[in-house]
Amino acid sequence: MVLVVNGIYDDSGHEEGGHPERPDRITATRAAIDDLHLGSDLIVVSPYAATRQELARVHDGGYLDELGAYCYAGGGDIDPDTYATYDSWSIAKHAAGGGLAVIKELQRRNDGVGFIAARPPGHHALSDRAMGFCLLNNVAVATAQLLSQGERVLIVDWDVHHGNGTQQIFWDEPDVLYVSTHQSPLFPGSGLPEEVGGRHALDRTVNIPFPAGATGDVVRRALDDVAAPIIDAFGPTWVLVSAGFDAHRMDPLADLQLTSGDFAEMARLATSFVSRPGRIAMFLEGGYNLDALRSSIHATLAAALGGAHDVEKPSSGGPGADVAPRVQRERRAALEGLRALEEEETGL
Amino acid sequence: MKAPRTLVVGYDGSLDAEDAVRWTFHLANETNANVTVVHAAGMLEHLNAHYASDEIPLALVDIATQCDFDVARLRWLVQDGDACSVLLRTTAPPINADLLVVGSRGHGKRAGLLLGSTSLEVVEHSSTPVVVVPSSHAVSL
Repeated sequence: MVLVVNGIYDDSGHEEGGHPERPDRITATRAAIDDLHLGSDLIVVSPYAATRQELARVHDGGYLDELGAYCYAGGGDIDPDTYATYDSWSIAKHAAGGGLAVIKELQRRNDGVGFIAARPPGHHALSDRAMGFCLLNNVAVATAQLLSQGERVLIVDWDVHHGNGTQQIFWDEPDVLYVSTHQSPLFPGSGLPEEVGGRHALDRTVNIPFPAGATGDVVRRALDDVAAPIIDAFGPTWVLVSAGFDAHRMDPLADLQLTSGDFAEMARLATSFVSRPGRIAMFLEGGYNLDALRSSIHATLAAALGGAHDVEKPSSGGPGADVAPRVQRERRAALEGLRALEEEETGL
Repeated sequence: MKAPRTLVVGYDGSLDAEDAVRWTFHLANETNANVTVVHAAGMLEHLNAHYASDEIPLALVDIATQCDFDVARLRWLVQDGDACSVLLRTTAPPINADLLVVGSRGHGKRAGLLLGSTSLEVVEHSSTPVVVVPSSHAVSL
C-alpha cells in the first residue's frame, strides 16, 4: 500500500523562541516517514495554499481577513499559547492545502493512506478564533471539502487535548461523526461525555475523557466499547484522523501514559473503519517530545500500512478502567434528556 | 433588577487584570457581593504553571487589602481553557456568575486588535452582563 504525504513547504518562518510548537516537529515527522523505507510506495504531492473559498467553508471571512492582516503586520502573540509571525498566514494556508492535496491524490488512486505532515496544527482553531497553537483548522477544511462531495466523514481525534475547534465547527452537522479521546481535566476544558452534538446531529459527537496516568489499554477498550458501535451505525465513507502524539508518556504537555505501540493499535482500529481503499488520511496535530513524536508516527504509519513496528509495546495498567461504562452512561442520559426536550418543544 | 451577588473577574496577572480585580472589589464592597477570581490555564501552563489552584496569589491578597475587601468573600479558581471559554463557563452552575468583569487587554494582545481580544469575545458571547474595565496603563503601539 502506498503512503501519500504532502511535500515540504518551508515552515521555518512560523516559530517563536522556546515555543514547543516548532519547526523541529516537522523534521522529526519527516524522519519518521524516512524510517519506513517505502521507496516508490511513498508518494509526495505538492502542497498548495488553500483558497479563500476552501477556508471559508469552516472559517468566518472576517476572521480570515483579520488573521492575514495580523500576520502581514508582523504578527505577535494572539493569546498566551498562540503566536503568529509574518510568514504564518502563508504557512497555515499551505498546511490546510496540504490536506486537500493529499486527499485529492488518494481519490485519484483509490488506494493508500494519507498523512499530512504540516504545522501549525489545527484542531483547536474555532470558526472565528485562533487558539491552542492553532490558526486554521486543517482537518476541518479537509472535512468540509469531502462534505461538499457528498461524503460522510468520521473524524477520530486522538490528540491528548480535546479538539474543541473541530467539535464546534461540525457540532450540528449530521454527516460528520467526531470521536475524541483526550485527557481531562486539561486544556481546553471541553470534551465532556454529555457533549453529544447539536439538534440536527445528536449522537454525532463522542467525547471520551481519560484521567491523568491512563494507559493505552483503557483508551483502546473505550474506543471498542463506546465509539466502534456508533461508528458502525454511522457508516463513514471517509476517515480522517487528528493524529496528535502528545498522549505519549514522554510528552511534556500532558500526563497520559501511551506508547508508540498504543498509537499503532489505534491506527489499526482507525483503518478498520475505512469502507474502501484510499479513504483515510491522518493530520499531524500535537506531539512535542521529538523522540516520542518520531517513534509514534513511525509506529502509526507502519500499522496503517499493514506492517509491523518494533519500538514500544502497548501500555497497560493505568487508571481509567471505569471510563467506558461511565461515558456510555453519561452519553445515554444526555441523549435521552435532549430528545425529551426536543419532543416537548415540538409537542410530540 | 437585583444587584449582582456573584461577581466573576478574569485574572492573568497583567496590569489590566489587576485594574479589573480592583474595580470588582470596590463594587463588591458596595453591594456586599462575593467575588470569584478566575484564571484560565492554557496549554503552556502545563509546562510552567503560573498559579496553584489552591493558593490565592499574593498579588490578589494585596489588592484586596488595598481595597478593604474581605478575602473571606474571595474565591480563587484556576480552570483549564482559553480565557473567554473559562469566563463564560462561570455563568453556569456551580458558580452562576451574575456579572463578568474583564480588563480591556491581557497579556499578549495588541491594543485595538480584535483577534485574541478576550473582552470582545466575552461581550459577544455572554448572556450575563459584562463589564470591561478600561486600562489605566499607557500602551505603546
